[in-house]
Amino acid sequence: MTTLAKPRLRFSLDTVSNYAVIIAFAVVVVIFSLTADGFLTGSNLMNLISNKVVLLAIIALGMTIVIGAGGIDLSVGVSIDLSSMIFIMMIAAGYAGFFAIMGGLAAAFCVGLANAILINKLKINPFLATLGVLFIGQSIQRLSTQGGVPIYLTRAEYAAPFDAIARTNLAGVPAPIIVMILCIIAVYLALHRSVFGRYVAALGAQAEVARYSGIRVAFNLSVVFIACAVLSGITGILLSSTVRSYVPFAGDAFLLDAIGATFIGTAISAERRPSVIGTLLGVLLLAVMRNGLLLIGWNFFWQQVGIGVLVFLVLGLSFGLKKRSE
Amino acid sequence: MTAAIEMRGITKTFGPVKALTDATLVVQPGTIHGLIGANGAGKSTIIKILAGIYARTSGTVTVMGKEMGVITPATIEAEGVHFIHQDRLLVPTATVAEAIFLRNEPRFGPFISYRQMNRQASELLRQYFDMELDPRTLISDLSTAQQKIVQITRALANKAKVLVLDEPTAALVKKEVDNLFVVLRRLKAEGRAIVFISHYMAEIEEICDVVTVLRNGSDVGVVTPADVGIAKIVEMMTNRDASEMYPRREPVIGKPALSVRNLTVAGAFQDVSFDLYEGEILGITGLLGSGDKDLLKALFGQVTPDSGEIMLNGKTVHFRTPVQAVRNGVAKIPEDRRAHGVATGLSVGENISLASLDQMSSRGFVQRDAEARNVDALIAELGIKTPGRHTLVKNLSGGNQQKVVVAKWLSCNSQVYLLDEPTVAVDVGAKVEIYNLMNRLALEGKALIFLSSDLEEITEMCDRTLVIYRGEIIAEYQRGEIDANRLLAVASGAALNQKETA
Repeated sequence: MTTLAKPRLRFSLDTVSNYAVIIAFAVVVVIFSLTADGFLTGSNLMNLISNKVVLLAIIALGMTIVIGAGGIDLSVGVSIDLSSMIFIMMIAAGYAGFFAIMGGLAAAFCVGLANAILINKLKINPFLATLGVLFIGQSIQRLSTQGGVPIYLTRAEYAAPFDAIARTNLAGVPAPIIVMILCIIAVYLALHRSVFGRYVAALGAQAEVARYSGIRVAFNLSVVFIACAVLSGITGILLSSTVRSYVPFAGDAFLLDAIGATFIGTAISAERRPSVIGTLLGVLLLAVMRNGLLLIGWNFFWQQVGIGVLVFLVLGLSFGLKKRSE
Repeated sequence: MTAAIEMRGITKTFGPVKALTDATLVVQPGTIHGLIGANGAGKSTIIKILAGIYARTSGTVTVMGKEMGVITPATIEAEGVHFIHQDRLLVPTATVAEAIFLRNEPRFGPFISYRQMNRQASELLRQYFDMELDPRTLISDLSTAQQKIVQITRALANKAKVLVLDEPTAALVKKEVDNLFVVLRRLKAEGRAIVFISHYMAEIEEICDVVTVLRNGSDVGVVTPADVGIAKIVEMMTNRDASEMYPRREPVIGKPALSVRNLTVAGAFQDVSFDLYEGEILGITGLLGSGDKDLLKALFGQVTPDSGEIMLNGKTVHFRTPVQAVRNGVAKIPEDRRAHGVATGLSVGENISLASLDQMSSRGFVQRDAEARNVDALIAELGIKTPGRHTLVKNLSGGNQQKVVVAKWLSCNSQVYLLDEPTVAVDVGAKVEIYNLMNRLALEGKALIFLSSDLEEITEMCDRTLVIYRGEIIAEYQRGEIDANRLLAVASGAALNQKETA
């Protein structure tokens, strides 16, 4: 009678499905190398990494931990901004760079702690808890900056700590890139090599099973949300030390890209779990698209359309084909 | 007479795996037709082919004399064949009436007529189930039994000619099962065909007129249970003798492992005292809501007792969360395996080491070689059927998933095992393997508490049995002192009434 199974086709579909992100990334790089003047130049690539990749990558790493544990963090923008605000305010008040950095990170830590308490003690689901923190964090910024006035520290008397940071490099690699690489290594080890990473995976797969296995669910979830907030805080400091200012709500722009990069990244693992490598590919894909489309002369609005279509293509290939082959 | 369902020569392959080979299922109208077989025998595959969830590789399907080409869920429902799936339940946020008339709502112009819908829902529930249930009740507020009834009512509202019930009694208590059977017999008398899939042999014997037995993807016989008897049917299913069902063990009882004194959780159970010894399997049984499940929760730190004492190896412990219970060597094998026992999206290896990572790590990092050795050893030791430790648990059969849960606790060297209905919804073959596993744990000196509503397995497997009734332990029996039927009488309080009247 009817023969409906097609095992041979399934194999090749599976291959495409698992490598869709990598294939897309390679195709995009090749296309822009051929069509966009100046894409494949050292200065453009350096600019791409310093300005588009570093900040998003660090935030997306935090988001990867949270989404890996089955949560979501809508308040990364608040962690970025409050960290940046405290950092800049402390420098303006004459504190040394090191203490200003610690102050900024402490502010981000507090945002993560607030999320952890809302989620663990008050049992509010992560989406709503972090949304509430987002609203409150935005108000804190408005209230402490007369409704959102940026703080610029361009005068010479504030230059010393910034110059120190800008001068810092390792064999010519600038500090922000070093920080990003350290963050990547740390999060990779935490998620893919440590006991904590295993607990995160269990929480993400089935939190109740983790509870029944004697895992300290509340403690581990707290670490997850605090880690994400602190990573965002690091981003905030990198952001304001390059522009030597604090611009309220600057961090909000990263939220959707970070979530997007994480979910795009899930397509590379057969189990569709968030992973550090996947997320970095997602970040690179988004950054290369933005940069390349800009170079070939698309304006911002059309860039967004291009990126949207690419995401549909990648995820459609990856998830749609996967489903059919099952 | 035209058969209601006629499936012939059904073959289904998944890649290289042959799930069904030339299987036949013929169901006549006005009969209750049992479909049984061990897990992996092809029961659910043949049903999913009929339901249009899987496409058959070859074979013919005829419904009421009409040959079906490619089946989809919609085309098969249009022929009057309805499915009550085991795990696919109703939309929890819908009301009873909305669930019953889903996609078939009584209308007033373009709008749904809620008044008419609610009235019709009430009428159907009253007519078939003698049930007074407010049709505006939310599905999420219903018990599992009530949800099954709503599913069946939905099929009846759609004028079902054939009803396929997959494990309809899995989560029901005896009285609810009896009510369901009354309804099924009435539907049968109306000339409808019913396909009944169940692991419970006693139910098959009670309700089914005819039974098709599947083994290894083929039908090995169509028999009348009343004629051949259950023992013969089990033999056909497993190809082994029914007397081997409960493996024997010579108990070696050691010193007390767990002592409970005057333990009370308000509203659940009171003043419970007992000892559990190393090497012992202690059965605890009671009716639904008797407090047996709450007792296990208290022993595993899921609820905090109001008063009383729990002692492990003579040392008093206070568990406020399962974390402390696990660290003190208490393991729980929960009833709802897929929700609480295994993380189906994680691999076999990740599940097995989940509770014991502390022992296989240094400075917070997993020692992957040590972990792999440990996991592989446990997979081999328990005979877990899996292509390897990287396979996702969701691809394993129910019995093997249960072994993964046991392996997880063996890995962290737990001493006291709390087993909550470990054999629910697994087939006969897997049950035997779980019994063997329990015996092995006991022989290794572990202490086991075995909670089950299958009283035969309690009387056959346990060295000692406690009966809990309305939150109190009312009786204790040594092995061999009581049979399943009398145990049921005691557990349901009948013995208490006798005492009072005597």
